[in-house]
Amino acid sequence: MNEKSPITTTPPKEHRTTGSYVTGFLLSLIFTAIPYYMVVHKTVSGSALLATILLFAVLQMLIQIFFFLHLGRGPKPLYNVIFFVSTVGIILVVVLGSMFIMKNLHYNMSPESTTTKLAQDEGIDQVGGEKTGACSDIGVNHKVIIKNNIASPAHTDAKLCDTLTFINEDDRVREIAFGKHPAHEAYGGELELSVRKGYPKTITLNQTGAQLFFHDHLDPTANGGFSVIK
Amino acid sequence: MADMAEAIESAEISHEAAANDRVMFGFWVYLMTDLLMFAVLFAVYAVLHGNTAGGPGGKELFSQQQALAETLLLLTSSFTCGLGMIAARRGNKSQVLVWFGLTFLLGLAFLGLELREFAEFVREGHTFSANAFMSSFFALVGTHGLHITSGLLWMTITLIYVLKRGLNKHLVRKLALLSLFWHFLDIVWIFIFTIVYLMAFV
Repeated sequence: MNEKSPITTTPPKEHRTTGSYVTGFLLSLIFTAIPYYMVVHKTVSGSALLATILLFAVLQMLIQIFFFLHLGRGPKPLYNVIFFVSTVGIILVVVLGSMFIMKNLHYNMSPESTTTKLAQDEGIDQVGGEKTGACSDIGVNHKVIIKNNIASPAHTDAKLCDTLTFINEDDRVREIAFGKHPAHEAYGGELELSVRKGYPKTITLNQTGAQLFFHDHLDPTANGGFSVIK
Repeated sequence: MADMAEAIESAEISHEAAANDRVMFGFWVYLMTDLLMFAVLFAVYAVLHGNTAGGPGGKELFSQQQALAETLLLLTSSFTCGLGMIAARRGNKSQVLVWFGLTFLLGLAFLGLELREFAEFVREGHTFSANAFMSSFFALVGTHGLHITSGLLWMTITLIYVLKRGLNKHLVRKLALLSLFWHFLDIVWIFIFTIVYLMAFV
């Protein structure tokens, strides 16, 4: 081996000693054992554990970089360090960015369970009159019986998340609309309910209001009101 | 005159050293781009690991002991690789062969464990196409395994050269690049160990 070879004569390489590797190796063993032990024995839980083992992974990486790769000890200027740091920057953007975006997408586009969650968060929702997302705890059930073109009781006092059932005892079909005739307003996502005899319809009262009305759109003489408070 | 000769020689040395640094830097640039590819695979895994389409998740499939064994094998191989590099810089051929030989065996053992795990998953029907979770798992861990395989191939070829031609500065440089690659794979594995295997049990 040529004694003057550039590899052996370039600036001080005292850091490239066995000691540096032994230290690095021992430290990385310790930093593997600790998170492993924590996960197996569940010493802490949930996000605290998650954060801890990620922290140990990063520490482990730093150890490998300094003790094994000797980053930062090369010839100056330290282009490789600059390159490494910018790579880490891009990685963080790519990984955290995709996780963030995909989580958002999942939240907004996923079926059923997420829709319910979304409905609860946003306080909007009335799917098909029966399925309700905005109210996770359903309250008392109120009944409105329409008989001989008269709705009774004429006025119902309810609390938010109570339910209201329309029962039609006449032979004709009732097209229950909300608001005062001829106005036609949506309530809680429902525009109109078709109620036939023997087939009551229930809505969840997921919108508050002191003076709310309903009427039979086909025969407005059958009408009534209700109020929903918090 | 002697000063002059020395100056010329040292200029040549620094020229060679500069060329050496350029090669090392070029390889470092490659490693960083490779790291970006792994980052994308990690991102895919992070997004898709919950989508098992009714199949078992990581908690049911992975073995903690197996993951720990693989980690220890790779960590130790990274260490012996470093010791091999010290021997190479000292020009000690037999030590180079011993340490890099050990590195090779440890790497091979790691690969064997990984392939055994893959084979077990496939046998049980948890293939690449079973669900998004398995796809992202095989893509990420499999890519790392492919890197390890090519590293082992590279190591074999370089060691044959060392065996036949002895250590010269070109071979020492090749070994330096190889050890850089090997340490890099070790770092990537640490994140696979943490994010894929350990986090499945959190």
